[in-house]
Amino acid sequence: MSLNRTRNFKFDWITIILFLLLVGFGWLNIVSASSSGEITSYLDMSQPYGKQMVFILFTFVLIILVLSIEAKFFERFASIIYLVSMLSLIGLFLFGKTVNGATSWYGIGGFTIQPSEFAKFATALAVAKYISDLQTNIKNVKDQLKTALIIFVPAFLILLQNDAGSTIVYAAFFFVFYREGIPQIYLLLLLSIILLSVSALKFSVLITAIIIAVLIFGHHFFLKKKRGNILQPIFITVACIIFSLGVHLFYNNILQSHQQDRISLWLRLEKDPEKLEQMKRTILYNLNESEKAISSGGVTGKGFMEGTRTIGKFVPEQHTDYIFSTVGEEWGFLGSSFVVILFVLLLIRILHLAELQKSQFSRIYGYSVASILFLHFMINIGMVMGLIPTIGIPLPFFSYGGSGLWGFTILLFVFIKLDSNRINEW
Amino acid sequence: MAVTEKNILKRLYFVAGCMFIFALLVVFKLVNIQFVQGEQYRGLAEKRTLKTVDIPANRGNVYSADGSLLATSVPKYDIRIDALTPTAKNFKKYLKPLCDSLAKFHGKTSGHYQKAIRKARQDKNRYFLLARNLGYSEYLRFRGFPMLNLGAFKGGLIVEQKTKREHPMGGIAERSIGYERFDEDGNVTRAGIDGAFGEQYLRGANGRRLKQQIGKGQWKPVSDANEVEPQDGYDVYTTIDVNIQDIAHHALLEQLEKYKADHGTVVVMETKTGEIKAISNLGRNTKGKYYERLNYAVGESHEPGSTFKLMALAVALEDKVVDTSTVVDTENGILTFYGKKVRDSKRGGYGKISVAKAFEVSSNTGIVKAIHNSYKDNPKKFVDGLYDMNLQNTLDLPIIGEGKPVIPDPRIKNGLWSGIALEWMAYGYNVKVTPLQALTFYNAIANDGEMVRPRFLREVKEFGNTIEFFDKQVINKNICSKETVAKLQKLLTNVVEKEHGTGNGLYAENFSMAGKTGTAQTEYWMPDWDENKRYISSFTGYFPAENPKYSCIVVIHKPDVSVGYYGADVSGPVFKKIAQKIYTDTPIIDAIEDLEEKHVSVERSYETYYDVAKTYKTIMPDLKGMPAMDALVLLENMGMKVRLQGMGKVVKQSVTSGSKLKPKQTIVLELS
Repeated sequence: MSLNRTRNFKFDWITIILFLLLVGFGWLNIVSASSSGEITSYLDMSQPYGKQMVFILFTFVLIILVLSIEAKFFERFASIIYLVSMLSLIGLFLFGKTVNGATSWYGIGGFTIQPSEFAKFATALAVAKYISDLQTNIKNVKDQLKTALIIFVPAFLILLQNDAGSTIVYAAFFFVFYREGIPQIYLLLLLSIILLSVSALKFSVLITAIIIAVLIFGHHFFLKKKRGNILQPIFITVACIIFSLGVHLFYNNILQSHQQDRISLWLRLEKDPEKLEQMKRTILYNLNESEKAISSGGVTGKGFMEGTRTIGKFVPEQHTDYIFSTVGEEWGFLGSSFVVILFVLLLIRILHLAELQKSQFSRIYGYSVASILFLHFMINIGMVMGLIPTIGIPLPFFSYGGSGLWGFTILLFVFIKLDSNRINEW
Repeated sequence: MAVTEKNILKRLYFVAGCMFIFALLVVFKLVNIQFVQGEQYRGLAEKRTLKTVDIPANRGNVYSADGSLLATSVPKYDIRIDALTPTAKNFKKYLKPLCDSLAKFHGKTSGHYQKAIRKARQDKNRYFLLARNLGYSEYLRFRGFPMLNLGAFKGGLIVEQKTKREHPMGGIAERSIGYERFDEDGNVTRAGIDGAFGEQYLRGANGRRLKQQIGKGQWKPVSDANEVEPQDGYDVYTTIDVNIQDIAHHALLEQLEKYKADHGTVVVMETKTGEIKAISNLGRNTKGKYYERLNYAVGESHEPGSTFKLMALAVALEDKVVDTSTVVDTENGILTFYGKKVRDSKRGGYGKISVAKAFEVSSNTGIVKAIHNSYKDNPKKFVDGLYDMNLQNTLDLPIIGEGKPVIPDPRIKNGLWSGIALEWMAYGYNVKVTPLQALTFYNAIANDGEMVRPRFLREVKEFGNTIEFFDKQVINKNICSKETVAKLQKLLTNVVEKEHGTGNGLYAENFSMAGKTGTAQTEYWMPDWDENKRYISSFTGYFPAENPKYSCIVVIHKPDVSVGYYGADVSGPVFKKIAQKIYTDTPIIDAIEDLEEKHVSVERSYETYYDVAKTYKTIMPDLKGMPAMDALVLLENMGMKVRLQGMGKVVKQSVTSGSKLKPKQTIVLELS
């Protein structure tokens, strides 16, 4: 019994403190972003900040629940959790509620719940479970495909719900696979895909083709010590060109117009100044307002509840996806950097802990957690500051929303639980 | 295995490196946004979120010499409805009651409004006018109407407040009190005193307040105090005497109506100081009613006719080329110069008479002969004589639109001079002066030769403290010698006193007057003159004759010839009535009752204000919800003392509405 008791307190407090800091600071910013400058009660359930407080309080219930469950439970029941989660996603097509064009919510009483936020944690468990299985060899193409399928199912279901942002998050698992030893060629492939896509859109298929040909044939004729079949570089070049054409086709015919516009603005494809101006006023409105809010903060910011653009509700969706602009305006460069540092510390801490895990399951799960959090962090902050095209996903622990907060909390605390159990593993 | 371990470590570093690089990128971008682009963004943000709002200053009031309000600014309200705002349910439910109320208010049928507002809703009209220029009490009534009482967000009520200049005395001296209007482009139209002293005194300086956008369409002041406090305009105290003005107005009106004249003007001026005590300008509209249309006294130069004989004689007497006793032959009442005839109104003329008598009987031939004989060889001298008496100059009035005098000069080739110019000038043709210019000259004679400028302003005050005081302005200390003045005064007195004088009809035993009649032909150059004779009948003079206090000019244009047209008959009685009333100091309060006979539109606007003013004179109005500024004006105009607490709109008043007020009672208004 005594062993059990000590075990219960072997949680990684650094992670927990980072978590608490993020949630607490996040809530302060939600207060600013959602109030109109006057607060009657912090538990005012008609206001987002009041609701979020309740969400946070309930989070602690979840944490205690997660931490009190036997660690082995998660590994053992990973498949079932995954299955339930997938069913909940499928169920959306029947009972889902559409908000802002995405059918991602169940409405229960006055509350809505977004199963995709929980699907990440379920997928992470399933991936960890599958790869850590003794039968699985990640270097085996067949197993790679099977693993990919585990990710593809929720990603596809979420895409069908018209929530492209959340779908992209599943790309995070690439980091996991990479760490677990998939061949380097996949990294090369991924980088190539990104570069080719950008180049094909930014320049043109022709220029891209010329660059590819020069690079590949240059490599083939001058750098390779043992020259192989000439067909190989030709094949690769042709494949690249076909892919570039495919990117154009995809961009022009499959992407929805608002997605096209976002990419077009990000890559600065639009040259007509009049149209550009109009796009800036409409599509870039959020980004512009958010950048203005951040820039008005200066070094130290305007102070809590003092951000005029925040209190004035200049930035739409500020308490959800654009919460970081509140940080920028009210807490300035120092506050923003603080948030970035908190995230970086959290990610590094999780990676560090993951590497310490003796069980492969726990390690893979830890990597999944770090990767998912990172992708959210990257896309959200990147979007708020215009580093990447606008993709609406929340900032973990920060943005307003119960499902998101709970999803991330479970995601994180399952790992903390797994980590606390590593002494007992072996 | 070691290789694998190393490999894995590399991969770990790669993953961690990706995250770290991205974090660096974020920080880099942060620096970029907050410091590099910061300036530019901040400028942009300021521009978008801050604006300077003008706080209009309260325009000063215009008072009469005795402190009656002549012009003041009162809040007025336009009520509109956003026909799209009410929900279908509310619209259906309240449309009829609303229209019933509107119908009752405007006196049209309810159906008319129902149709109009339904159409407005159909046309998506979000700015449908319901009423314009409402007073405060009417505005409150409107706010209580069904549908509108749901407020702006549910009922679609749109209220626009503006200040409007009101003339509490109604149409009296309206034109001279004047106005200053601004159109959207900032152009100003000015008239009268209000216009003349607007920029200098009345307008005040607008305040400025920096406001910050706190949301869509919502602006809040940046700081508690205004950046620039509005400076209210000064109050202007005119020289107008309400009693004299009233007498003048009604005397003129009566005469205009009697003679069905086109228009007329009367000006009363204090002899010693030049203060204008009354100025009335009445013109006839198409319906035959008279109201203040144009400032004829100031603006209209015309041939004065016989009244100008005074100026002609003044020159001749001063030059000592003629004396009052000089005998002239009026011949048979007809003189001919270059084929043009000068006729006396009396057929056959007056024979051989003295210049004095020629003046008193207003013999055209007599005066013309005298001037002709004296100046025919040197007409320049006559013109110079007129110039010496400042007759070629305007009076430099602050009121814009003063007519320019016209005096032909043989040295100036402007087509005015001719062979008969001298002779025609002698009896008031070929020259043009405004009534006020003529009066100024007559006043100078009354004032023993000292020509003073007519003045409309006595004092400028701020919160009751005098800022500027205006004294008399002398144009010419002595327009002519005392001797000449004395002779002219005698002549003018004789016009009324002597039995042969043209003004003898005005003679009154108990008080003395002096003056000169004028019956000038006008539009005689038009082909129909012979069938339709038109005259300008005037009387210019002063009273009491021996110790002049006031001078006065009465000019009536185009009286109905069938009723009469001689200056003595048409204009003389106006002069006499004014002199009599002032002189005998009859209580004139009874005359004020006649005020109601005014032009209809003028009357209505005046009445609404007057109603408010009257009802609120001693009874505390309900000021709740009224902007502090308006409440203050209302109460101060009632003669109350007001203390304000806080800022914004009235939420509490120390005296409940409806209760009686004592004069100068202090009222505390709580604002928020």
